[in-house]
Order: sequence, then structure tokens, then C-alpha cells
Amino acid sequence: MTRIQLVDDEPNILSSLRRLLKPQGWQVDTFTQVEDALGALLEHEYAVIISDYQMPTADGVTYLQFAKQKQPDAIRLVLSAYGDRASMIKAINQAEVYRYLSKPWDDYEVVAAIKSALDLYQLHKENQRLREENDRQRAELKAREEELLRLEADSPGITRVRRDADGSVILNHD
Amino acid sequence: MKEAAIAQTENERLNAKLEQANRQLLQSEKLAAIGQLAAGVAHEINNPVGYIYSNLQSLEGYLNDIFRLTDAVDSARSLEDLQLIKKNIDYDYLRSDLKDLLAESREGIDRVKTIISAMKDFSHIEDEEFKPADLHRGIETTLNVVNNELKYKAEIIRDFGDLPEIDCIISQINQVIMNLLVNAAHAIEEFGKITIRTRHEGEQAIIEIEDNGKGISPENLNRIFEPFYTTKPIGKGTGLGLSLSFNIVEKHKGRIEALSTPGHGTCFRITLPVNQPEQGNDG
Repeated sequence: MTRIQLVDDEPNILSSLRRLLKPQGWQVDTFTQVEDALGALLEHEYAVIISDYQMPTADGVTYLQFAKQKQPDAIRLVLSAYGDRASMIKAINQAEVYRYLSKPWDDYEVVAAIKSALDLYQLHKENQRLREENDRQRAELKAREEELLRLEADSPGITRVRRDADGSVILNHD
Repeated sequence: MKEAAIAQTENERLNAKLEQANRQLLQSEKLAAIGQLAAGVAHEINNPVGYIYSNLQSLEGYLNDIFRLTDAVDSARSLEDLQLIKKNIDYDYLRSDLKDLLAESREGIDRVKTIISAMKDFSHIEDEEFKPADLHRGIETTLNVVNNELKYKAEIIRDFGDLPEIDCIISQINQVIMNLLVNAAHAIEEFGKITIRTRHEGEQAIIEIEDNGKGISPENLNRIFEPFYTTKPIGKGTGLGLSLSFNIVEKHKGRIEALSTPGHGTCFRITLPVNQPEQGNDG
């Protein structure tokens, strides 16, 4: 199931976002404490992480930087009422956020941003899966080639045995 | 005799002019301080507005679902149909969440209202006369205005004693308290504590604002009440906050003192007389 993490020190913001996202059928985990959100990163794999910017113990960008180390694949977004230039630059350069959303937010915009973040996440995952499959197939191919080389070294000519239509070995050279 | 009389009126005229210039300075410092707080206040307001706005849109969705059910009362062929719709719209969830949605939104509106009325109390220009006022209420108003500057920097501890009403110009006392609170928050590097203490001693009321921030070095401590003296970077402070605070407290026939230990924190103490000696005459 697609898991999404929301971090904001204001519980009412989390409730309203949970309402907004409920029809989408995602598993939405909400946290008012940065420490708890960090703990959850060790337990679950998240597709998207959305954090507030200004919070008491750590700012959102610092949290997202941690999240990036723990779960580099999760797509990071900031939802902030504090849209000054410095905080945006920090969010982009340090936490490499995918979107910077502002409060008060537009419901449609938030859902659309999460959906496109999910697309990106799935694309990365798919990409990764294909790369791994490719690597595995290559390794298999290489092992097979090595086996053939070994056989050929042991018994020269064995890899070039010619067979008849019924499977019998043809010995005469022509 | 005539010349003396002319000199006298001239003197009065200049005094009145000086008094007016002082008032303007006080007001512009207040507006500058509010300007610096504006970003923080916007943040304080945008949070509740954000979730109220979103909640209203969710509410619209809920109502559409509920209307689907009530409209079906007339058109449905059987009770089972109605029950099916009720199940489909997750009626039990709607019912319980509606209560939360409304309670949370109401809480948000209350918060916006509190902030706006605190801002209004705070920026009052007209009331320049001494009136009996509740200092604790003034402190709470000020805390509402500067909440955003404080809540990410410090825990606020209220250690309030019993205070009678004090003869003062409360909007000006609020301004002093705001200055001290914002300074205290700026002195704290990570996350600290700000203690606000009040007590009643004889004919005096005492307010203390103490932080556990970085403190003020002895050579700076002698100069903090000088106008334009500031250690804050350009654009962060006008250098007038404490000097105007000093003037305000002096005008109230009170005292303001600072005790500081570098590395441990600073405590500002304001002592105000409960009753002004000669009301309305501060010449």
C-alpha cells in the first residue's frame, strides 16, 4: 500500500489533510513531533513525505534532510505558511524538495502535487527494478559464458559438437 | 515682565513640540516593531485559515454524500437500497468526523479572532491617558501578538502573583513587554525558557522577564538603554526598543533594570507604582 507521511506541529492541519486525502485510499501517517516521524522512517517505507517548515524542535528542511538520508527514494514536499525566499532556497538546495506548497493551500493543488510525486516515486522504483533485473540477467549470461569457456578448455571442441536431427552426435568431419 | 511672559509662552510652545515629537517617535517605533512581527503574524493566521479552508471543502463533500442519502428517501425502491447508500458513503465516519471538523474549524476561527483583537489592542494610538488596567491581561495580549516569534524559541513560563489594577497607559506597557519578550527570544540560540514573573510589593507592582539565553556582556549592559545602540544585525533592530522602554517606564514613575550573566541569561525587572502620584500631570 502507498504510504504517505505528514509532519506538522499543528494537529488541526494534520486532521484536515487526512480528511482531504482519505478518498484517495492511501495509508496516511501523521506526526506532530519530528522525533516520532524520524522513528517511523525506520519502520515503514514511505513514497511521499510532506513536512511543515517551522516546527519547535527542528525545522522542516532539517527533518527532510534526515529523511533523505534514511529513505532517499521517498519524494519530499514542504507545506509552509512561511514563504520567504531564504526558506525556499534552503528547502530546494539542502533537502532537494520536489514541491514547495504554501498555506493556506488549495486542496486540488495538494492532491495533484502528491499524485505527481507518487508517479515520480513509482517511476524511480520501476527504473530501479528494471536495472536490477538487467543486472541479474547479465550476471546469468556471464556465468553461462564462463561455464562454456571452462568446458571448452577441459575438452576442446565440446562446445561445437554437431548433432543430427534425432540428437545423435555426428563424428565425421566434412 | 513682558519679555519674561513671551519667553514663557515660547518655552511652552517648544515643550509641546518636543512632547509631540516624542509621541511620534514612540508610535513609529511601535509600528516598526509590528512591521517586523508581520511575517510571524501572517504565519500564525495562515495556519488556521489553511485548515479551515480545506475543512470547508471536505464539508461540502460530506454534505453532498448526505444529500445523496436524503434525496434517495423519495426515490429508493426499498429500504435495502437506502441502507446500501448509507454504507457506501461511510455514514458512520461522516457522522463522527463532522463533529471534529466543526470543532477544529471553530478553534481555528477563535485563534484568528484572538490574534486580530490582540493586534488591535496593541496598535491603539488614541488612549494616551493613565487608566487602571490589568497587567496580566496586557501580558496575555502581548504574548498573542508575539507568539510566533516565541514558540519556536522558548517555552513560556508564567509565574503570576496577585496584582491589583495599575494606573498606567496599558498600550505603552504592552510595548515594553513586547520589546523584552522579543529580545529574550533573540538572546536564545537553540530552544530555551522565558519566565514572566509578576508580584505585588507594597505600593509597587513588579514584572520580571527572564531568559536563559546568551546574556549581555558587562560593557554592553551599561549601554542597552541608549538610543540607537544595538548589537543586532542591520535590519533586525532599530536600537530604539529598550531606550523607548526606558522612557515609557520613566514616564510611569517606575524603574527598569537589567541583570545579566553572560552564558546564563538576562533578567529585566520593571517596577511600577500601583497608583500614579499626580494623575494626568506628568510634567
